[in-house]
Amino acid sequence: MENARTERLQKIANQMRLEVVRMVHNAGDGHPGPCMSAMDILTCLYFDQMNIRPEDPKWPDRDRFILSKGHACPALYTALAYKGYFSKAEFDGLRSLGSILQGHPTLQKTPGLDMTSGSLGNGLGIATGMAIAGKYCKQDYYTYVIMGDGELQEGSVWEAAMCAKKNSLDHLIAFIDHNNWQSGGSVTECSGLLPVREKWEAFGWFTQEIDGHNIDEILGAIEAAKAQKGQPAAIVARTVKGKGLDYMEDDNSWHKRVPDDAQLERAIELLGGDQK
Amino acid sequence: MMKYSGSREAFTAALLDIAEKDDRAMLVSADSLKAMRATKFAEQYPDRYVECGISEQDAVLVASGLASCGLVPFVGTYGGFITMRACEQMRTYCAYPNMNVKLIGINGGLLGGEREGVTHQFIEDLGIVRTIPNITVLTPADQYQVYGAVKAAMEIDGPVYVRCASGREPVVYDESVPFTFGKIRVLKNYGDDVAIFAAGYLMNRAVQAAEDLKAQGISATLVDVSTLKPIDEQGVAEVLARCKRAVTVEDHNVIGGLGSAIAETAAKLCPTPMAFIGVQDRFAESGAADALLDAYGMSANAIVKAAKELCSR
Repeated sequence: MENARTERLQKIANQMRLEVVRMVHNAGDGHPGPCMSAMDILTCLYFDQMNIRPEDPKWPDRDRFILSKGHACPALYTALAYKGYFSKAEFDGLRSLGSILQGHPTLQKTPGLDMTSGSLGNGLGIATGMAIAGKYCKQDYYTYVIMGDGELQEGSVWEAAMCAKKNSLDHLIAFIDHNNWQSGGSVTECSGLLPVREKWEAFGWFTQEIDGHNIDEILGAIEAAKAQKGQPAAIVARTVKGKGLDYMEDDNSWHKRVPDDAQLERAIELLGGDQK
Repeated sequence: MMKYSGSREAFTAALLDIAEKDDRAMLVSADSLKAMRATKFAEQYPDRYVECGISEQDAVLVASGLASCGLVPFVGTYGGFITMRACEQMRTYCAYPNMNVKLIGINGGLLGGEREGVTHQFIEDLGIVRTIPNITVLTPADQYQVYGAVKAAMEIDGPVYVRCASGREPVVYDESVPFTFGKIRVLKNYGDDVAIFAAGYLMNRAVQAAEDLKAQGISATLVDVSTLKPIDEQGVAEVLARCKRAVTVEDHNVIGGLGSAIAETAAKLCPTPMAFIGVQDRFAESGAADALLDAYGMSANAIVKAAKELCSR
């Protein structure tokens, strides 16, 4: 049974990876590499863990999600469309005038979003506010965030980390998509970021470190985070930028780059055929 | 109602009254509870007081998150720390998604910052917020108007910036006069020789100037612009058409604030010769509040002189 659950999620994640390659290819713009490292986490959240009602996007008791690394929005847009918030036909409009799919997530344009994002370092503070609201209103929802590792360089992340700790927000679960790359190069070339896990521990968070592409580890970490009380939870997910595509994996030129026709064909070949 | 003295206590009095009737109202502090004179709110509503510590970016983000869940957070701290330290958070996560966040900025102008010096004197806040879409900007003139402005902010669905001071601002209004959102108010109607548009906590100086001008045979119309954005274009244009000369008076850089807003309206609807009283695009220094305003060009005499020069053209 557990295997069937894992296999189902792996299949969805790979379908969504292919969808992102096609979306960026067709739109001629976007950030495919950062989508791929976060895709398995996103899949576990939207297709297994999150308590949401696509037919009622503003349902007050829904779980919340913020893609703090907003440039990976083609992955999120795919998840939202697969969940039924809007039609896949919208994908071709990515980043173009009049589209509901803006270059970065925009609350009032895209159904299913819980917040605007895109300028780095801000998702955790907003998620902290959402989690405080849940506590005050005596609601039981969880608030999830996916941050990039590069954006941990923003001071506002650590402001939020201290605020969430002080408020004992045990319904706040933050993933760090730790793929070791950022726009300008590796995270160690750009800053003194490492070590990551120890920082969250030092800030008083319930901290786990996992393989961010292992579905069972992702699900297990979420369940462990939910089981503990009194602390916000950080899940440091070791990931590979471009995961799933041999020409993209760990090659930071794919931070922002458009796959050509041959690369789209290769994606179809690698990711289990065209599921259009 | 809580008795209050000064714009910060007026804020807390209004928030307490709002909170009593509406359980959506929250207070978000960036270690600014004491500065906001809001300790009473925290005591009375501990579960509606969110302390973020010395982290304004986080305070504004937390407020955005609270508002996204249907609550109405009031972020209260120094105006410059909201509009400059947390400028992007205010713009991208309050204004852009049109979150129902109320931003209460204290220490507006030199009067507000006075002895603290330039780090705590904010002469740029109104210029910054005015350039951001969706934010309503309120510039009440004294503590009684602040009380009304905070209540008006609660009635507006969307982000609002209310400029407060430090408690040294003189009272110019009777307590019974309501804050009027979206409309200018003619405070003195001595005549049509010159219009004086003033906003904020040096209103007493503008009143003094209008009286001094009258004694010298120049009849002014003094207008309180307590909603800076959206500005009452029609009301402003009518006064400009009648007076044909205008002096603006604000405790703010002359770039970006009231003077700019009136000049923009004039250019659109009724081109009018103008003079701009305010901080002349420079940094000030520490000093006693009244002495500072005098030294940096915002005395009643400076207003009188500017009006007379305009009238002699």
